[in-house]
Amino acid sequence: MTDVGEEPETESTGGYLRRLLGEQAVHIAVILAFALYPVVYAVLVRTPLGAEFDVFLPRVHTMVAVLYIGLFAMSFDFISGYTGYLSFGHSLFYGTGAYLVVLTATGKVPMLGSDTPFMALLLVAGILAVAVAVLVGLVSFRLTGVYFAMITLGFAEVAHVFIRNWDHVSSNPRDGATIAGGDGFALGVPGVDTLQVEIGRIVGTNLGAVFGLGLGIEVDETWVSFYAIGAVVVVCYFLMQRIVHSPFGRVMIAIRENEERARAVGYDVYRFKLAAFAISGFFAAVAGGLFAGYSRSVAPSNTFDLFHTAEALLAAIIGGFGTLAGPLYGYLFTASVEGVLSTEHHGIARYLRRGLSDAMLSSGAGGVTVADAIGVLVDGRADLYLGIVFILFVLYVPHGILGTLRDRLGGTVAKRLSDRLRSTFGGRHR
Amino acid sequence: MTDPVVLSAVDVLVDLFQPGTLARIVLDALSKSALYVVIASGLSLIFGLMGVLNFAHGSLTMLGAYLGGAVMVALVSSGTSGPVRFLLFFLAIAAAFGLLTLLGGAVEVALIRPIYDREPLFQILLTFGVVLVLDELARIAVELYGLQPQSEWQAAMGTAPGFLSSWYGVAGVSTRGLYLFEVVVGALVVVAIWAFLTRTRYGLYIRAGSEDPEMTRALGIDVRKAFTVVFGVGAGLAGLAGVVLMWDPRFGASVPLGVETLLVAFVVVIIGGLGSFRGTVAAAGVVGLTDALMTWLFQNHVAFPGLPEMAMFLVLVAVLVVRPQGLFGVAEVGGH
Amino acid sequence: MSGDPPALELDGVHSYYGESHVLRGVDLAVETGENVALVGRNGVGKTTTLRSILGLTPPREGTVRLHGEDVTGVETHEIARRGVGWVPEERRMFSHLSVEENLRVATPPDADVNARVEEALDAFPALRDHRTRDAGDLSGGQQQMVSIARALVGDNDLLLVDEPSEGLAPFIVKEVVDALGTLADDVTLLLVEQNFPMAMDLTDRFYLLDHGEVVESGQSGAVARDDETIRRYLSA
Repeated sequence: MTDVGEEPETESTGGYLRRLLGEQAVHIAVILAFALYPVVYAVLVRTPLGAEFDVFLPRVHTMVAVLYIGLFAMSFDFISGYTGYLSFGHSLFYGTGAYLVVLTATGKVPMLGSDTPFMALLLVAGILAVAVAVLVGLVSFRLTGVYFAMITLGFAEVAHVFIRNWDHVSSNPRDGATIAGGDGFALGVPGVDTLQVEIGRIVGTNLGAVFGLGLGIEVDETWVSFYAIGAVVVVCYFLMQRIVHSPFGRVMIAIRENEERARAVGYDVYRFKLAAFAISGFFAAVAGGLFAGYSRSVAPSNTFDLFHTAEALLAAIIGGFGTLAGPLYGYLFTASVEGVLSTEHHGIARYLRRGLSDAMLSSGAGGVTVADAIGVLVDGRADLYLGIVFILFVLYVPHGILGTLRDRLGGTVAKRLSDRLRSTFGGRHR
Repeated sequence: MTDPVVLSAVDVLVDLFQPGTLARIVLDALSKSALYVVIASGLSLIFGLMGVLNFAHGSLTMLGAYLGGAVMVALVSSGTSGPVRFLLFFLAIAAAFGLLTLLGGAVEVALIRPIYDREPLFQILLTFGVVLVLDELARIAVELYGLQPQSEWQAAMGTAPGFLSSWYGVAGVSTRGLYLFEVVVGALVVVAIWAFLTRTRYGLYIRAGSEDPEMTRALGIDVRKAFTVVFGVGAGLAGLAGVVLMWDPRFGASVPLGVETLLVAFVVVIIGGLGSFRGTVAAAGVVGLTDALMTWLFQNHVAFPGLPEMAMFLVLVAVLVVRPQGLFGVAEVGGH
Repeated sequence: MSGDPPALELDGVHSYYGESHVLRGVDLAVETGENVALVGRNGVGKTTTLRSILGLTPPREGTVRLHGEDVTGVETHEIARRGVGWVPEERRMFSHLSVEENLRVATPPDADVNARVEEALDAFPALRDHRTRDAGDLSGGQQQMVSIARALVGDNDLLLVDEPSEGLAPFIVKEVVDALGTLADDVTLLLVEQNFPMAMDLTDRFYLLDHGEVVESGQSGAVARDDETIRRYLSA
C-alpha cells in the first residue's frame, strides 16, 4: 500500500538530486503540464481550429477552480479515502475558510482588521477549521459508518442554515456576501514585496504589457491567480502527501483496513482519527479561503451546501478514492464536462447553434427540432451526464482513474512510473 | 434589577401557555409529524431490510410532487365537479405511488443489486448518482413541457379538491383542510405499514430478512425479491409524500424539494434509529413538535428565520451524542 | 449398488473465503435415512462444508448433488426449498421475532402454516409456553430447540446440524441430544459436532475432516474412543 523507500547508505549530492528527480518525475511532469496549460490554451484557440479548442478545452478561469476545488476534494479524500470515515459535512470547513476571508475583508470579524494579509488569513482560516474539526470530531468519532457520515452532515447543515440566515453576513445572507472594491488579495512569500502577487477576477491589473509573449496573448489577472493559487495548492499537496506516506499515514490506512486490529496493535485510533480530521479540515479551509480570495464573493450555495461536499465526492470517486492526487484529476474531468456543456458562449450548445445551418437546426422528427434537442439535452446539462458517469464509475471503476492505474502498475503511480522510467532510461538506482 | 433574558423567557412561557397558542402549536406539530412520517417511512423500510441509505429518496418525493401535479393539470378542468376532483386526486396519489414503485424496483434491480456485496459506502454513492440524474431529468421535463413557472402549472394548485384549501375550526383554532388531511394520511400510512410488517407473510419475511438475510435465505425465502419489493414500495411511499407536498404551501413542487425532504427524512430516520420503524414514527413526532415549537418561537419572539430548520439538525446531533444508535435503534444495526 | 442416488453427495468440492482456500476437495455421501457425523478440529472446514452445500459459500470447484441432482451454483433459497434444513452454529434466532414467528417464517407458503406450527410445538412442548415471547429473550437451550424446530417445519428431509451442543450446559445438551435422537429416525442427518462421543452416539457413520479434506471415515459404532488416528486429528 505505502512504499517504504530504501535509503542508500551513502550518496553524493549529485546522486541524491538525480534520485529525487527520478522519484518526482511524474510530479514534475504534472506540474509542468499545468504550468504550461494557459500558454498552450492561448496558442491553440488562436489556431484555425480555435473555436473547437475553445469549446473542448477548459478555460484558465475554469482551471483556477480546478485548483482550489481540487484541493478541497483532496482534503476530503485525505480523511474519507484514507481512514474510511466518510466526511459528509466537509463543506463545513471549506465554508468556514471562505466566509472568514470575505467577512474579514468587509471588516466584520472582531480583532482581524480588513487589511490583514491574505497569507495570514489563510493560516487563520486553517487554524479555525482545525478547532471546528476537533470539536465536531470529538463527538462524531464516537460513531462509525453511516452514523458518522450523518452526524458530520448534521453539523454542516446547522452551519449552512445558520449562515443562510445570519444577517451579520450581509443584508441578504441567502445570497452571501461580496467584497466591494479594494485591493486584490496578495499571495506570495511573506515579507518580500517583490514576491507578492494579487489574485482575483476583478482586480483589473493587466500585466499584458509586461508579459506580452509576442503572440498577442494577454496575461491577465486570471493567469496570475492561476499560478499563485497553483503554487499554494502544490505546497498543500506535498504536505498532505508527506503525511500520507509517513508512519502517521500508515496508521490512517490501518484504520481503514481494520480498525480493530489497529487498536489491538496499540494505537490510540481515536486520536489518530481526530488528528487526521483536523488536518483535513485545515486544508479544506485553505481551499475555501483561496476560492473566496479569487472570486471575492461567497454564497451559502457554493460553500456550506451539501452539494458542495458532493463536488468533492464526485471528484474523489472519478479520480480515485484513497489516492491523494486522484480527486484533483477527478475535478478536472468534472469541470471540463461542465465547461463543454455550459450555457455560456464557450459551451458546445452555442457552438452548435452558431455552426449548424438554420435548416439543420429547424429540421427534426415528431415535432422536436434539432435546436430543441440541443436546448434540452445539451445546453447546461452537465449534471445529467456527470451523474451517469458517476454511477458507471461506482459500478465498474470503483477505484477511479488513478486507483485503477495504480492497481495496474502495482504501486503508487508516481513511484511505479518513475521506477519504470528509470529502468527504461537506464537510471543507476534500480 | 431583573435579568432581561430571564424576563423575556418568562414572557415567552406565559405567551406559550395561552390556550389558543398551545392548540395551534399542537395542530401544527401533528400535521408536520404526519408529513415527516410519510416522507421518512420509505427510507426507514429500505434501510431496515437492505442496509442501504437511499440518497435518491428525496428526489423520488420531488418526482411524486410533479407527477401528482401533472395528473391533476391534465385531467381536471374548471368545469370538473367536486366529487370527480376528489376521485381524481386519489387517482393522482395512486398513480404517483404506482409509477414510483416501478421506478424504485427498476433502480434496485439494475443498479443496486450488482453491488450488495461491496462496502455500504458504495450503495450510498450509487444512490447519490441517481439523485444527480433524476434531478436533472426533472429539470429537463419541467423545461420541455413548460411546467414552471407557467400559469397553467400554477393552475394546478387550484385543481385539488375543495376540502384541501378550505379552513376548518378544530379545538378553537382554524386550520387548513390540507393539514388535517396530512394527519389522516400519516395515520393511514403508519397503520398500513405496521399491518403489512406484522400481519402479512411478506412483512414477516422482511422483518426476518432485516435481522439476518443469510439465515432467511437458508429457510427458502428469496430475500432478493423482498429487496426489490421493499425498494419499490419505499420509492412509492416517497412519491405519495410528494403528491401531498405538491399542494402544501410550506413546500410545493420544485427540484430543490428533493434535498429538502431528503434531509428531513435522514434526520427522522436517524433520530429514530436506523432500521426501526417504531423509532421512525416516534422520531417524526419529536421532529414535528420541535419544528412547530420553533416555528412559533420564530414567528413571535426570535427574529431568526432559520430557527426551525437549525433546531431540527441540533436535535439530530444531540440524539447522536447521547444515544448513538438513535431512540429505538439496536447498536449493531447498519454496522455490517 | 442400490437404485436410489444418495440424498447428499459432495464430489471434489473446493471452497474459499476470499483468498483463503478452505475446502480442498471434499468427497462425501449421505444415503437417504442415514445419520452421518462430520468431525474434526476447529477451523478444518466443517462449517464451510455445510455452507457450501447450502450455496452460502458457493464451491469454486466440484459438485454438490441432492438426490442425484446437481445443485452447485444454485441460489441458496432454491437449495433450501429442495428439502435442506439448516440448524446453524450459534443458532441464529430472529431475536426480534416471537418463537411462533420464527417458525412461521420457515414454513413453506403452500403449507398449512398454523398446523405446522402446532406440530412443531407438540414436538418441543417446552416451547409452547414461550410462543409469543421474542426468541432473543429465551435461554440458549430453548433457542437451540427453536432452531431445530425451525429446520423441521419446512418440508425438509435432509438436516444440516452445526454444533448443537456448543455453549450449552451439560443437562441441556442431554435434552438437545434426546430431541435430535428422536429426529434422527425420521430424517437424513449430517451433524457437525465437536463432542466426539455425542456425535458417535447419534450417527451411523462419520467423516473426519482435516485441512479441508476427508482424511478418515467409518462406522460410528465401530470406532474406539482411543483410536490412534482419531486422537491425532481431534486433539488440538
